[in-house]
Amino acid sequence: MRRWGPWIALGVVVAVALAVVLWPNGEQSPAARAHELETQLKCPECQGLSVADSQAPTSRAIRTDIKRRVAAGQSDEEIRQSYIDRYGDSILLAPEDSGVSLLVWILPVVVLALGATGIVFALRRNREEPHLHPTDADERLVERSRADG
Amino acid sequence: MKHPARVVALAVALVVVVLGVVLALNVGNDPEQDAKQSHLVGKAAPDFDLPNLAGGRVKLADVAGKATIVNFWNSWCIPCQQEAPALQQFFAAHKDDSDFVMVGIVRDDTTGDVRAYVKKNQVGWTIALDPENVAALDFATRGQPETYAISPGGLVAAAKYGPMSSTELESFLAAARASG
Repeated sequence: MRRWGPWIALGVVVAVALAVVLWPNGEQSPAARAHELETQLKCPECQGLSVADSQAPTSRAIRTDIKRRVAAGQSDEEIRQSYIDRYGDSILLAPEDSGVSLLVWILPVVVLALGATGIVFALRRNREEPHLHPTDADERLVERSRADG
Repeated sequence: MKHPARVVALAVALVVVVLGVVLALNVGNDPEQDAKQSHLVGKAAPDFDLPNLAGGRVKLADVAGKATIVNFWNSWCIPCQQEAPALQQFFAAHKDDSDFVMVGIVRDDTTGDVRAYVKKNQVGWTIALDPENVAALDFATRGQPETYAISPGGLVAAAKYGPMSSTELESFLAAARASG
């Protein structure tokens, strides 16, 4: 138990940090919801800018449209989907977290976990199996020095 | 677990295989290409109801039953000016076709500048104004010029972002007529 103590503590810290970062932020105001959606959509006529950051005419129109849709009671998913239907997946700044796109999020975590597991096993094996074994000549040398006192 | 390293290696190999399959399935799905193509082709054309330069309105319902070319443009955009001769030539060749309509929708421009441009260049087709970019957004435009072919039945038959040649305009009209 003493040996596993630090690992358990580390696990708890990581779990709490993830929970704080990933936990949903309760009820958002309409303006905050609209802004959040604007940051998720790519400006269609710019390179790599979000709708929230762009001053292009299309981005301004999208911002107005998002506010109108939020006020009309549409959900975030409905609003996002209405843009995907018209512009395709490329309108999203980050890949979706469903379907095949989910792999983009999961695979790095899986690879990281497997790598960490591999390192743990390798370190443990190195500790359990010493690389240097005494040869017969070594044994004889030790015996001789003991006998010589 | 007798050989944990083997299990880990097997798991890594499995992940690599899954990754390979996913990549193979997505070959051809180029995000940059996806960003340039319209996702409206084959779908019903977005409804629009916009003011025209003459003080009236232009609606999708007005062009129902006709093969329609919709061109998003404005007076200050250089590619729009480069495409203008092709539009003029194409319109001159088809303006008397009973089943043909051409609508230019202006985005991000002032009425005065548009009026001056139309007068100077003797633009003969219908010009609609979209000051709030409502139609531009419904058509999912990415700038201007951008051109759509709408079939008599109201389906988007073809779309292109960028300047059109006369040949492309002819093929758009043929696609609109063929889509029914």
